[in-house]
Amino acid sequence: RPTPDPNISPLPPGSHILFTQSGKIEYVPLEGHDLKKNEAKTALHLPEKVVIGIAYDCLEKMVYWTDISTPAISKANLQGGEPVHLIKSDLGSPEGIAIDHVGRNMFWTDSMKDRIEVSSLDGSNRRVLVNTDLVNPRAILTDPTNGYIYWADWNRDSPKIEMAYMDGTNRRVLVKDDLNLPNGLTYDPRTSLLCWADAGTHKVECMNPQQGSRTQLMEGIQYPFGLTTDGKNLYYTDWMRGAVVVVDRYSRREVDEFQPQKRTRLYGITTAHASCPSGQNYCSTN
Amino acid sequence: DSTVGSSSDCKLCPCPEGATCAVVPKTKEVVCTNCPTGTTGKRCELCDDGFFGDPLGEKGRSRTCQACSCNNNIDPNAVGNCNRESGECLKCIYNTAGVFCDRCKEGFYGDARAANVADKCKSCSCSPYGTVDRQTTCSQVTGQCQCLPHVINRDCGACEPGFYNLQSGKGCERCNCNPIGSTN
Repeated sequence: RPTPDPNISPLPPGSHILFTQSGKIEYVPLEGHDLKKNEAKTALHLPEKVVIGIAYDCLEKMVYWTDISTPAISKANLQGGEPVHLIKSDLGSPEGIAIDHVGRNMFWTDSMKDRIEVSSLDGSNRRVLVNTDLVNPRAILTDPTNGYIYWADWNRDSPKIEMAYMDGTNRRVLVKDDLNLPNGLTYDPRTSLLCWADAGTHKVECMNPQQGSRTQLMEGIQYPFGLTTDGKNLYYTDWMRGAVVVVDRYSRREVDEFQPQKRTRLYGITTAHASCPSGQNYCSTN
Repeated sequence: DSTVGSSSDCKLCPCPEGATCAVVPKTKEVVCTNCPTGTTGKRCELCDDGFFGDPLGEKGRSRTCQACSCNNNIDPNAVGNCNRESGECLKCIYNTAGVFCDRCKEGFYGDARAANVADKCKSCSCSPYGTVDRQTTCSQVTGQCQCLPHVINRDCGACEPGFYNLQSGKGCERCNCNPIGSTN
C-alpha cells in the first residue's frame, strides 16, 4: 500500500504533550488544556531504539530521552535536529529522566545499576548521586525552584517515593504506605503538588511534599506508566489501554483519551511548555 | 516525492503488508511507520520490547515475535526483560540467573523453575567457619556447601559426632575423650 505519509514533522510553536512509544517520540499539541488530537504527529523516528523516559528542556527547546536498547541517553532539537548521544557508557537500564532547566543539569534513574545519576546537559560532569537502597528506580523529576529531586522506586518488597537535594544530600522517604507499583510521578511547581500513578493500587494520588497531606485523585485506573501535568490536567500513558489518558485534577474525572494508531506500549510522557517558568537555584550559580 | 511529476514519484513502501511508511525529511530515509503488532524497526525487522524473535528472518529462519520466555522469573512491570533478537533474559528476579533465568544465581540453590516462588532459589548461607576458604557458594541442586574436614550438615555448620571446635576455621578436631571415663 503506497502511502508516503509525511508523518514526521517539526514541533510547531505552543505547548505540547510528548510521549514515547518504543521506536518513536510523538507529540500532541495543547490548546489551552485540551489535546488537539487530530494534529498529533511523530516528532522523531528512532526505529531501532526502545525509548523509555523523556524530558523537555524549555530553554533550548530540546528533547532528552533514555534508550534501553543501546543503552544511551540522547537529545535532539525537535525543530528538525539530528539526535546527539550524550551518555553511552556505564549504563544498564536507564529509565526516568528529568531536566533542571535552571541549573542546566539532567538526572536519570538506572534500574539495572540501581542508581540515580546527574550530569550537565552535554553529558559532562557526570556523577552518581544515589546508589543505596534502590531496587527498581523509574520515575524522576526536578523542582528547580527549590533545588529538589523526587523519584519513585517500584521495588515489589518495599515501594517508595523519595526526595533529596539536587546534590543527593538530605535524602528522605516521602511515601511508603499503600504503594504498590508507583510507575509515574509528576510535580506542579505552581501548586507544589507531587502526584503519582500506581499500576498496582490502580490509583492516582497527590501530596504536598512539604506538608505531607495525601489525597486520592483517581481509582480503578488500568496500567499507568508515565505521568505528567500541565497544571490543570494530569496525563498518563497506560499499558493496557495503549493510550494517553487525561484526568482533570479539579473535577477528579477522566476527561479525554488519545490512542495513537500504532498499538504498542506507551512509555514516558512529558509536557513541553512553550516557555520556561521563572526561577533560580543554587546550581545556576555554582 | 509526489511533487516531481513523473510516473515513478510514488514508490511502494518497503514494509510488510499493512504497514505504512514515511520519508525522514533530513536524511530522505524511508521508515516503516505502522509495523504489524509486536514488530518495530526501520523495516519492521525487530520485536517490540518484551518480545523476541527475527520476524523477517534476517539472521536465518524467520521467527515471529513472542513474549520473553524466562521461566516466570521476570517482572511484568519491568522494561527490557529480554534481548529482542535472542530472547536472552536480562532481568532475572527471585535470585535466578542464566539465559532463561533457569538456574539459581551464585550463592543460591534450589529449582529456579519451581512454580512456587518460595520453592525457587534459597540462599546457601554456608557457615563461614565450616566451609572451605569461607566460600559463600554451594551446590546449585542440593545446596551442599563445601565442608572442611569432619564438618557436616548442608551448611557446614556442625562437627561430626566425636569432633569439636568448629570455630577454629580449620575443620573439627577429634574429642580424644578417654573411653573409660566417658558416658558414650
